[in-house]
Amino acid sequence: MSGVNELRIVGFLCNWCSYGGADAAGVGRLAQPTDLRIIRMPCSGRINPLFVARTLLSGADGVLVSGCHPRDCHYAEGNFYARRRLEVFKRLLPTLGIDPGRFEYTWVSASEGQRWQTVVTTFTEQIHRLGPMPRFSPGEACVAVLAESGG
Amino acid sequence: MAEAKYLHHDKLSAWLEEVAGKMRVLAPVRQGDAVVFAPYASGVQVEMDKQATTPPKGVVFPASEELLRYDYQKNPEQPGQVDVELLPVIQPEPTLVFGCRSCDARGFVIFDRVYAGQTYKDPYYLARREATLFAVIACLRHDITCFCHSVGGGPGDAQGADLLLTPIEDGYVVEAVSERGAPLLDSPLLEPARDKVEQAQTLRDKAPRNMGNPTDFAPARDKLMAVFDDMDFWEDVSAKCISCGACTYLCPTCYCFNITDEGAGLSGRRVRSWDNCMSSQFTFEASGHNPRPTKAHRLKNRVGHKFSYYPALHDGLISCCGCGRCIKSCPVSVDIREIVVRAMGHALPAKDKD
Amino acid sequence: MNVLSQLKEQIAATLPNLDLVIGWERGFDPLHHTPLFMRRPEDVERLVIDALCVHNLAVYLPGLKNKKVGVAVKGCDSRAVNQLAREGLIKRENVVVFGFPCDGAADLTKVRRQLGDISGVQSAALEGDLLRVVVDGKERETPLKDVLADKCLRCRYPNALTHDHFAGEPREARVQTDDYKDVVDFEALPLEARFAHWQQEMQRCIRCYACRNACPMCVCRDHCVAQSRDPHWVTQEDETREKWMFQIIHAMHLAGRCVECGECQRACPVDIPILALKRKLNKEIRELFDFEAGVDPQAVPPLLSFQVEEKNINERGW
Repeated sequence: MSGVNELRIVGFLCNWCSYGGADAAGVGRLAQPTDLRIIRMPCSGRINPLFVARTLLSGADGVLVSGCHPRDCHYAEGNFYARRRLEVFKRLLPTLGIDPGRFEYTWVSASEGQRWQTVVTTFTEQIHRLGPMPRFSPGEACVAVLAESGG
Repeated sequence: MAEAKYLHHDKLSAWLEEVAGKMRVLAPVRQGDAVVFAPYASGVQVEMDKQATTPPKGVVFPASEELLRYDYQKNPEQPGQVDVELLPVIQPEPTLVFGCRSCDARGFVIFDRVYAGQTYKDPYYLARREATLFAVIACLRHDITCFCHSVGGGPGDAQGADLLLTPIEDGYVVEAVSERGAPLLDSPLLEPARDKVEQAQTLRDKAPRNMGNPTDFAPARDKLMAVFDDMDFWEDVSAKCISCGACTYLCPTCYCFNITDEGAGLSGRRVRSWDNCMSSQFTFEASGHNPRPTKAHRLKNRVGHKFSYYPALHDGLISCCGCGRCIKSCPVSVDIREIVVRAMGHALPAKDKD
Repeated sequence: MNVLSQLKEQIAATLPNLDLVIGWERGFDPLHHTPLFMRRPEDVERLVIDALCVHNLAVYLPGLKNKKVGVAVKGCDSRAVNQLAREGLIKRENVVVFGFPCDGAADLTKVRRQLGDISGVQSAALEGDLLRVVVDGKERETPLKDVLADKCLRCRYPNALTHDHFAGEPREARVQTDDYKDVVDFEALPLEARFAHWQQEMQRCIRCYACRNACPMCVCRDHCVAQSRDPHWVTQEDETREKWMFQIIHAMHLAGRCVECGECQRACPVDIPILALKRKLNKEIRELFDFEAGVDPQAVPPLLSFQVEEKNINERGW
């Protein structure tokens, strides 16, 4: 992504698979775009779809959720519930006037460093195609505060 | 006081534009199916014929207002030492609220005793109050929910107003009510009102008579105290209340607030925002105890405050301006008039009488 | 015997075994009915049943969980009773449901659009297919179908889906299927226009939370995240973004639970068309899981269950 300003992408990653996968990609020195900030979660089932909404409204340009593959959940079924919730939320986005491409959820296991590289690269490219998230008109207090505090 | 003027309908927008060149003008405009006060811009249709859905309360007492900004700074020499920088913010913009009703302007008369009284003066409130002028339109027709004439006001009342407009023929008689309002009449778009002034006065005198007999709410001051502990009564009258804040936030006289810090990292803003006594958090204490645990307790407070506790502190003045928005916009049509009337006529249970 | 007198009779006969029965009575003006809490036999006389019985009275049930309560319900309201019982938020055996055939409820916002300002209304009469009102001494009228709530025009359940008593004869549904045309039409607008729509509409929100409190499925009541400081989901600031965030929270918390009674939008004092968000979610829930809240009292809520292989969810191949 050389020559393009970084956008803000937030990733919510499950501790047991995708976080490990991201780690594996790093250890393997696989080149990745640097727009993504990762937040480690205990399980994709812990990810409230409203985390995604709040993140987009608070200044992110894209949000990526990644967990264990179905049938591989560390807690047996967390990602099954996550899949339903996240799918429903993704489908709400068009009515909100937010491009559904700003949010994706996927599955990456701890050994899939290569796959993680693909996911991050593809998603980051997708967000760059969409450009910055539209902002709200007056009084962007929190975003301004975040920007001032270097967040 | 300046001579009264006449403003023809055709010249209304030109005059508003002229005033808008000097200060911000807020006027009732349609947004979706609601009428709200919004900045006037040329070409905007001003809704003059009906009471606005929301009162102009927020102009002087914003729904949320920044009191100060804070910024924590760590001392790099001594990591344990943190300095905090506070930056107070008061930036009121000179504003004319055009086209509100008598009740709307009178709301601030009730505010003034609290925020600009003898004992305490609130600098944020005062700064906005002093920067704001009100051009009130006298109501020559009333809504079913209107009862300003029962709570010390009237449809053509000028308390709290700077200009008073009375609809007449094809325009308005515009009278300056305060020294501050007078300069606004100094415009070539306004013509001398001459004998229309008297006609306007006649129309305004007639208006309260169309509203039927006023209810005397004065006895409510003692009577509401007498029924204070009769929770059966309060549970009965509050049964249908759904505990939202529509009544409070639409009320031109509700002045309670909450203060919170909204920040991120080391800096943020201290915000004062409207609070709502219908919410359980209003009295929720840090210990976990809530002295007003049910909606009956909370509605009792709202009614009691307006018709008993405030009047007891402020020479019998009722802290309700009778605009009727709490009735009109209540999702379940709770009627505050009915509750007060029922309280005034309520026979206390025998055990409480002796 | 007409529906009202039959209903009154049923309520009067049941009232002695109950703490109270909730119905509707005339309110402060001829167009506004208001919830009626019947405790004594003479209260039953005040009951009314017509197109102005707009409120979904099921909203009171979770708050009266330990009482024996009777409630009068329209078809749409009965879905809330079913859903509340399904989620264990009320005990169905503690509730006596009085059903009746509903011909549709008026939307007072539409009445205003048709007849102008109605705040000076002196009388109102429903005569056949006409609504006649006298406002400030002037008579005005509109066909009732032009002022019925949108939900009534696409109503598939005019008769209570669950009831212990039913007054009158069940009526036929207006339509057989809901095509969600409103949702499809809105999504045909350009993305920017949809985003701008919410910015514009949410601006005038006064954060009174009437939408939330009028919702029969919003059962957190005094513990809503909207007013919680920790977690801090929304700030206290008067900003469109925060108000909109709350609407997204409300919609998502209702996903797979919303019975589309439309109370959120009806209760809004500044008429923000927020039902659209719930309609959209209901459309998707139906497509994904073939589920409608409150219709089948035995059905498992879709977001409380899963399939190992989801039939309608496309696993995106990255």
